[in-house]
Amino acid sequence: MRLTAQLRDYARGAREIELDSAPNLQAMVGKLEESFPGIGGRIVDDQGKIRAHVNVFVNSTNSRELGNEKTALQDGDVVHILPSVAGG
Amino acid sequence: MPSNKGRVCLLVGTRKGGFVFTSDSKRKEWKVSGPHMKGNEIYHMAYDRRNGAVLASVISGHWGPTIARSDDMGETWKESRTPPKFPRGTGLSVARVWHIKPGPEDEAGVVYAGVEPACLFRSEDGGRSWAVNESMMNQKTRKKWQPGAGGLCLHTILLNSKRPKRMHIAISAVGTMRTDDAGESWKFQNKNVLANFQPEKYPEYGQCVHKLASNQSTPDVIFHQNHCGVYRSDDAGENWVDIRNNLPSRFGFPIAVDANEPKRAYVAPMEGDFSRIPPGGHFAVWGTDNAGKEWFKLDKGLPSVSYYTVLRDGMVADQEDPCGLYFGTTTGQLYASRDQGNNWENLSDGLPPIFSVSVSSI
Repeated sequence: MRLTAQLRDYARGAREIELDSAPNLQAMVGKLEESFPGIGGRIVDDQGKIRAHVNVFVNSTNSRELGNEKTALQDGDVVHILPSVAGG
Repeated sequence: MPSNKGRVCLLVGTRKGGFVFTSDSKRKEWKVSGPHMKGNEIYHMAYDRRNGAVLASVISGHWGPTIARSDDMGETWKESRTPPKFPRGTGLSVARVWHIKPGPEDEAGVVYAGVEPACLFRSEDGGRSWAVNESMMNQKTRKKWQPGAGGLCLHTILLNSKRPKRMHIAISAVGTMRTDDAGESWKFQNKNVLANFQPEKYPEYGQCVHKLASNQSTPDVIFHQNHCGVYRSDDAGENWVDIRNNLPSRFGFPIAVDANEPKRAYVAPMEGDFSRIPPGGHFAVWGTDNAGKEWFKLDKGLPSVSYYTVLRDGMVADQEDPCGLYFGTTTGQLYASRDQGNNWENLSDGLPPIFSVSVSSI
């Protein structure tokens, strides 16, 4: 998993994190939160949905094209968590 | 009220961060620090006199809302370990923390927060972790609650210095509610309050309350700025009377009560709810010395042309003697008065859009 700069503070500065296998993005966020308390709520809202202005890419595909937080993961997938572009 | 001889802090929440102004009790010279948490919306800030902490509602456009705490007047910040968050399965998700209220003197660590969608949260550890008020979350009428233009927000929390289990809250556009059992149960209190945008003009709930304020020496006397009027209750919200009288408009957002004169209150009228500009293009605070029977303009030192907008938490009274007043505008002007609004001075003319000001003796 690759973290954008704003999230690295939650992960003790780490740019990349290797996680044990998780069946989908929802489970992955749960594992991330266990390791780095506070980070999960930045990625998903109270009901576990990916925040509107957060993009989670699995390899190079936006999870919104796959299945949002239910997107299935395979061993070796690279997950990027990025803020959406905030321009007009 | 006791005269505080110490220092005063003025906390200013803006679209681009929080600012901390500090002064001695004369309030002539101010030092400023900020923007704290630069780039984030700081919707509201509160100073907790019991422990010296500053609490802030922080909203990132990308990463969502949280509450942060500083124990060194803004030098460093730490986010809540467990921020206000609705339980899974409720379908509710916190969009914004609108108001933070430190609890009573004798309940160390207790802090309240009002959020959108409208609900109350409570912390027992100084804002580090938060739990939802279940009674408020499970209100039977919740599905019928409608948001005001700003959102379905719980924006006011009034404690009662004489009855520790009594609390008033206000929700736009639901109305005012009171608990007498520390939040175990709530009842609507909107009697005689107009809701002219509803088919029924005086419903049990559905009023668009903008702000409540009280003086802690008379906590059951409550002043109320509503979308549809200015009101006062003399019986802890059971009944409301219209006190618009000679105000230039019944519409406005903030309301404040003098620290030393419980019958002296302040409002900031705006032309009706569609234009939302100051009457005649000239912003003025209006005051009353007799609990709303008559109002007078307090604009000495304010620009003659001033299309200012002051939001519901954008004006506040301090606890000094004479009472000081402060307001911040959505165009970044910050004004202060050291003499009950009789004279105004500009503290800053170029801040980011101001959401809120709060003030406390340190």
